[in-house]
Amino acid sequence: MVTPIIMPKFGQMTEESTIVEWFKKEGDKVAKGDMLFAVETDKSVMEVESFEEGTLLKIVTKVGIGVPVQSIVGFLGAPGEAVPEVPALEVRSSAKQAVPSQAAVSRLPERPSAATPAAAPGPVLPIEQPAQIFRISPRAAALARASVIDPKPINGTGPAGRIVEKDVMAYLASRGYDALRISPAAKALAVKEGLDLLAIPATDGRIGVAEVERAVAEKPVAMPKMRQVIAERLTTSMATAPHWYASVSVDMGEVIAAREQMKAAGNKVSFNDFISYATVASLKDFPNFNSTTDGKVLRWKSRVHLGIAVSLDEGLVVPVIRNADELTLAELGARAADLAVKARAGKLGPDELSGSTFTISNLGMLDVENFAAIINLGEAGILAVGAVVKKPVVRGDEIVIRPMMKMTVSSDHRLIDGAMAARFINAVKKRLEDSETWKFLT
Amino acid sequence: MEVFDVVVIGAGPGGYPAAIRAAQLGASVAIVEKERLGGTCLNWGCIPTKALIAAAETFDRLKHAESIGISVTGASVNYAGMVAHKNKVVAQLNAGIKQLLTANAVKQFAGTASFKDRGTIAIGDGTVVGAKKVIIATGSTSTMPGFLPKHPRVVESRGFLDLEKLPASLIVLGGGYIGCELACMAAMLGVKVTIVELLDDILAPADVDVRREVRGHMEKKLGIRIMTGTALSDVAADKNGVRAKIGSETVEAEMLLCSIGRKPVTEGLNIEAAGLAPTQRGFIEADDYCRTKVATIFAIGDVTGKVQLAHYATSQAITAAENAVGGKPKKHEMLVPSVIFTSPEIGAVGLTEDEAKKAGRAVKTGKFRFAALGKAMAAGEIGGFVKWIADSRTDQLIGATVVGAHATELIATATTAIRAELTAEEFGRTILAHPTFNEAWMEAAHAVHGSCIHAAPLKRN
Repeated sequence: MVTPIIMPKFGQMTEESTIVEWFKKEGDKVAKGDMLFAVETDKSVMEVESFEEGTLLKIVTKVGIGVPVQSIVGFLGAPGEAVPEVPALEVRSSAKQAVPSQAAVSRLPERPSAATPAAAPGPVLPIEQPAQIFRISPRAAALARASVIDPKPINGTGPAGRIVEKDVMAYLASRGYDALRISPAAKALAVKEGLDLLAIPATDGRIGVAEVERAVAEKPVAMPKMRQVIAERLTTSMATAPHWYASVSVDMGEVIAAREQMKAAGNKVSFNDFISYATVASLKDFPNFNSTTDGKVLRWKSRVHLGIAVSLDEGLVVPVIRNADELTLAELGARAADLAVKARAGKLGPDELSGSTFTISNLGMLDVENFAAIINLGEAGILAVGAVVKKPVVRGDEIVIRPMMKMTVSSDHRLIDGAMAARFINAVKKRLEDSETWKFLT
Repeated sequence: MEVFDVVVIGAGPGGYPAAIRAAQLGASVAIVEKERLGGTCLNWGCIPTKALIAAAETFDRLKHAESIGISVTGASVNYAGMVAHKNKVVAQLNAGIKQLLTANAVKQFAGTASFKDRGTIAIGDGTVVGAKKVIIATGSTSTMPGFLPKHPRVVESRGFLDLEKLPASLIVLGGGYIGCELACMAAMLGVKVTIVELLDDILAPADVDVRREVRGHMEKKLGIRIMTGTALSDVAADKNGVRAKIGSETVEAEMLLCSIGRKPVTEGLNIEAAGLAPTQRGFIEADDYCRTKVATIFAIGDVTGKVQLAHYATSQAITAAENAVGGKPKKHEMLVPSVIFTSPEIGAVGLTEDEAKKAGRAVKTGKFRFAALGKAMAAGEIGGFVKWIADSRTDQLIGATVVGAHATELIATATTAIRAELTAEEFGRTILAHPTFNEAWMEAAHAVHGSCIHAAPLKRN
C-alpha cells in the first residue's frame, strides 16, 4: 500500500517548513524509526523519522523548497507500486541557501557532470542573479584551463566583450604568471581541487604542493544549516533591537547556603535554578522584560516561558521551560535538568525549542566572569550570568571574602529604558541575596 | 677570552660544514673537536666501510665473472691491504678537512667542549672561549647493551673497522643497516656470518619488497644465516671465541659485532649550564630551523635525534649556519634520501608504500625490474628493481625506492624529481639516456599508469 509522507507541524506557530536534506534516496528501503529528512523551521533544524516501513517510492518535495505543513512530501510503499500524481507545492523559494561567495580563494566554475543533474525536476526556482552571459572563445577557455586559472576576471576584447586567447595571455602576463614557479604536482592538485593558481599566495615566487594545500584548507564551505539559522537570527536581533546593557555583582552566600540545605534534603538544584527562579519572580514585577516589540506594536506575554541557553558541539540551542512562573524551585530544577539531557541527546521536540519569552545564558561553568549576550529574537531581554568567584568586598568598613557572581542584562532599548533595566537587574540581585527568598523553598 | 661570532662543537659531517658556511658568510668561527676531524662518518663510519665494501664487492665480482666471459683463478683476499687502502683514504680526507677549515680561517680547538654558560665554552685543556652563537654537532656513538661481556672479541662497528684481520666466523647482533652492511662485506670475503635481529625482519624501515630481495640475496648467495624475531642471550667470550644462546640453540663464532643502534653524545658538554636539558633519550631538541630552546644555540645532526644520516647533518649544518649568522630564518630540508650498501644496495627517498598507506594517502605504484632493462643485462647486473610511489589523486611522486646494482647512485634521480614535486606523468615524459640504469625510473613512471613500454600489460581488454 502506498503511504504518503506528510510534512509534520513543528510547534503551534509553524506554517511552513523547508526540507534541507533527504537522508534516503528514491528506491531506498526505510525501516520504522529511520530518519527520513531534515527540516528547517523558523527556529531550528529538526530530523523527521519514518513511522512506517517500506521503500521510498518518490520524493515530491525537493531540498530547498518551502512547503505548508501537513502537505505530502513523498511516498512510501512496496517496490514498483504506482504513485499518485501530486502537484509539487511551493510557498517560497529558499533564498537563504546562498553561501557567501566572497572568500580569499575564488573557485573555478564547476563543470556540470553527468552524475549530478544540475536541474532537478519540480518547481523551477527563480534565478536571483541577473543572467549575465559569460563569453569566452574555446581557445581562450582552453588556455585558461591549461593555466589552471579562473577566466572570469579577464577583460574581453572580442565581439560583445568575448574573451579571446590574447586577452588570457595579456592577463597572465599582467599577473606575473610566467614568473611563478609552479611545481607539476601543485598544478595537478589545483586542478583536482578546482582552485585558481593566481589566487594562491606564492612563497618566494614558488607555488608548491604546500601552498596549494594551504589554499585547499582555506576553501569556503557551507556552514551547517543549524549554524546558518543561528547566524540569521543573531544578526536580525542585533540589527533590529538596540541592545542596552547593565551589570551587577551578586553576593551568592545565601544561595550557596540554601543550596547546601536542599542538597542535604536530597534535592539537586543548580545555581542556575536559583537564578532562574529569582529571574522569573522579577519578570512578574517588570512585565516589559516579558514582552516583545517590532518597534511599532508592543506584545505582552501573560506567561513566563523561560529559555535556557545550552551549548552543544554543533551550536547553541535554547530549550524552553513552559509556564515557568507556575513552578517551584525544585520543579524548575527538574525541568531544566530534563531539558538539558534531551538537548545533549538531540531529542528536543519542536515545542521545547520555541516560544520562550525571556532567556538566561550562564557561562559560569566555563569560568567566565562577565559577558553580555545577544537577545533571543522576539524577546525583550536576556540575562548573562558569570562564574561565582571568591572576592574581597567591603561590608560595613571591613574587607571580607565573599562568593561573588556578576550578571549582565541585555535589554531591547526600544522598549526598556536604562533605569528600568537597572531596577530589574537589581530586583533579581536582591532576591538572590535575600535569605527570605529561599527560606520557605528549601 | 677570545670571543667568536660562532662556535661549532664537533667537527663531523655536521660540524665542519657549519663552520665553513658561517665563515663564508663573514663570521669569526671556532670549531672544537675532541677526537678527529670528520667525526664518525669519515673516521669510523661511511667512508671506511665503503672503502672496505668496495674492495669486497670487487672480489665478489671477480669470483662471479665467469658468466660474462672472464675466468679468474687464484684471486685471494689480503685484508691488511684493504685496511691500508681504507686508512689511506681516511687520512687523505682528514687532511682535506683541515686544509679547508684553515683556508676559511676557522680556528680549530682540540678537546672536549663544556658550557660554562650559554655564551662561554671551556675546552678540555682549560682554554675558555666566548660565543655569540653556538652550533652543537656532537653526533652519536654506538650503543653497547649491558648484557654483552667486555672483551676484545665483542666489538661495535668502530672496533670492527679497526681489525687487522677478519675472523673466520661472526655473530652480528642487530640487523639494521650498519649490521647488514658489515655482514655482507664480511660474507663476501669468506666469513661465516649469523645475524640476530629482535624485530620480525632485517632492515626494518625499508620497503617490504626491497627487504625480500636483499634478504634473499644475503641468505642464498652470500650464505648469511639470518635469525629474526629472536633475542640473543647468555653471551660469553674468552680467548677461543664467543658463545651465545638464541632461544635454546647455542651459537659460536670467533667474534661478535654489536650494531643495535646509536646514542647521542652529550657527555661532558654540560648543556644544563647553557639552559638546555636533554630529552628523555638524551637528545638535544631542535626545531625545523635548527634552533634549540635557547635563542643563541643551534643543534644539528645525530645529537638532535631526527634522521641519523651524515648528509642530513650536512644539509642542516648549512641552514643552521645561515640562520645563526643572520638573515631570514630558513627551514632545513625535509626530504632525506637514505642509502644502504648491502649486497645488493638499497636507495630510498620519501614515503614507502606502507608509510603512505598508514598516513591515509591513496597511492599508486609503478615498478620496473632491472631484469627487463637492456643496460642491466649487458652489465650482467640484473637483480633488483626501482619503484615509484605516487599520490593517486594528483599523480605526485611522493616516494621512491631502488634495490640492485648502483641503487645508491640511482636514488639521486628520484630525490631530485620528488623535491621538484614532479608528477609520474611529467617524469615519464623526461628523456633519460639509453642505455643506462636510470632508464628504469622512466619505465617505472610509465608503469604507474599501466603504460610501460617494456613490460607486458597486466591484463588486456
